Amino acid sequence: MKTAQEFRAGQVVSLDGQAWVILKAEFSKSGRSSAIVRMKLKNLISGSSQEPVFKADDKLEPIVLERKVVTYSYFADPLYVFMDEEYNQIDIEKENLGDTLNFITDGMTEQCEAVFYEGKAISVELPTTIVRTVAYTENAARGDTSGKVMKTAQLENGHELQVAAFIETGDLIEIDTRTGECKGRAKK
Amino acid sequence: MGTAVADGSPAPRTWHLFCRVVDNYGDIGVCWRLARQLHRQHGREVTLWLDELASLQALQPAVDTTRARQECEGVHIRHWAAALPPLDPTDIGEVVIEAFACELPAAYLALMQATRPLWINLEYLSAEEWVVRCHRAPSPRLGLRKFFFFPGFSEGTGGLLWEPEPLHPRQAEPPPATLLHRLLQELEVTGPLPATRLAISLFAYENRAAGELLGALSEAPGGVHLLVPQGRISPAIDAWLGEPLPPGGSCCRGGLTVTALPFMTQRQYDRLLAACDLNFVRGEDSFVRGQMVARPLLWQIYPQQEAAHLVKLEAFLARYTAAMPPPLAAIIVEAHRCWNGAAACRKDDWLGLLSQLPTWQAEARRWQGQLQRLGDLASNLVAFAGNQV
Repeated sequence: MKTAQEFRAGQVVSLDGQAWVILKAEFSKSGRSSAIVRMKLKNLISGSSQEPVFKADDKLEPIVLERKVVTYSYFADPLYVFMDEEYNQIDIEKENLGDTLNFITDGMTEQCEAVFYEGKAISVELPTTIVRTVAYTENAARGDTSGKVMKTAQLENGHELQVAAFIETGDLIEIDTRTGECKGRAKK
Repeated sequence: MGTAVADGSPAPRTWHLFCRVVDNYGDIGVCWRLARQLHRQHGREVTLWLDELASLQALQPAVDTTRARQECEGVHIRHWAAALPPLDPTDIGEVVIEAFACELPAAYLALMQATRPLWINLEYLSAEEWVVRCHRAPSPRLGLRKFFFFPGFSEGTGGLLWEPEPLHPRQAEPPPATLLHRLLQELEVTGPLPATRLAISLFAYENRAAGELLGALSEAPGGVHLLVPQGRISPAIDAWLGEPLPPGGSCCRGGLTVTALPFMTQRQYDRLLAACDLNFVRGEDSFVRGQMVARPLLWQIYPQQEAAHLVKLEAFLARYTAAMPPPLAAIIVEAHRCWNGAAACRKDDWLGLLSQLPTWQAEARRWQGQLQRLGDLASNLVAFAGNQV
């Protein structure tokens, strides 16, 4: 069993005896030290979807499926094409990638893990931490140096996220793919 | 499931509310108000399971801390001890509310799997956008029907906890000065009341900005009567005054009169809020009450790790000030940042804030009306539960 906050997009969870792939896992701090995780799930058999919410420390059962290390190659609408270590092409439908899409960019070199269910690639998991370039963000207002004031930044693939005010256009930032949050400026 | 109940709304009838006191009186404050309201307003048979009876007794002195089972104001109260007495399926409510993500006792949870009640996790109040996406969301657990229910400030949330009945007759209530005079008499606060222009209540956690605030209030034109309910801010008040101020006692510095108030019941505290021109509130319960009495308020949010509370504070301020004149909004936002340690405090800022109170009062009334249109939390919970049957 794993806690809800340990799951991320691309993984598969068992609910009421059925297998659901996680398309999106949104972590939010509620009150005091508690937090919740909202998931967007797709049923691997019926294709139906649901969007449940869990306490961050609720225990859920992961389903361990076949995995292969892959790297991203290109997008051929509606398929994202990855390559395994033996240069086999692995196609994954765009609609199955959920929030993982936010961090897939042309030329990315991170090793990911494709997840297979009954022989078919159903999702891909990114590393927990990835580094991306900020394509654009407004200059910070003067005096905002505490790291607590946030602003919007756009990545090269167009995805927007919140970053600390001191982050600038062109900076490399570390992103936690479980939460989608910027962890800070990456070391060059 | 049960039959229709007194207010004509659909079943279920028996509601069990679990509350674990973490610190202060916020959790039990909210749960006790909700339990009473579900019973009084909606005719539900309510059982409040509570781990610390002493905390409830502070708010409702009729509660007996030595009794594991009792009834008060029509609400059944059961002590949630570490080891529960043997339970059977009749001990399980048709609706089970897990307040603020407290974990239900294992023995109770095991019986829920047999009786299959509606299980609701009542969450903390937040003004953040994600709340709407999570409100009433299912949370499949152990084969049971569990849902998250979020209070909130906008359409698509559960609204705030307030009683529709007492709010309306308030039009006919005496003026604030009379209200305050009566309350202080009831609390046995002796001594002549100062003839100040403003009455301000100060209910707060420890706060490094307290000294700056008190200094500013002592110079406010027309004088200020500061009423401080006994609590975590009291040592800072004593330190600024240079002497301990016992509950019921008053002390003057410049144009500021500080009165320390003894611990109050919820109803007494509500009257204090209604009697003051500005209320410093904290946490969740007093914060909600402060809004629903339609008075200007300054909120000290419960501090969280990694300054997560500041995000929540900003989310509230964005909603609260959205329709206000920009100059007033800017002053209110800055004052909240000061009071919550996110900006430096200056005396002139506090004095500037006081000068805005008449305009702010009108905005507080408008805000209250906006919140009322969302319905109240208890009624929204009852409607939700009825729809799930």
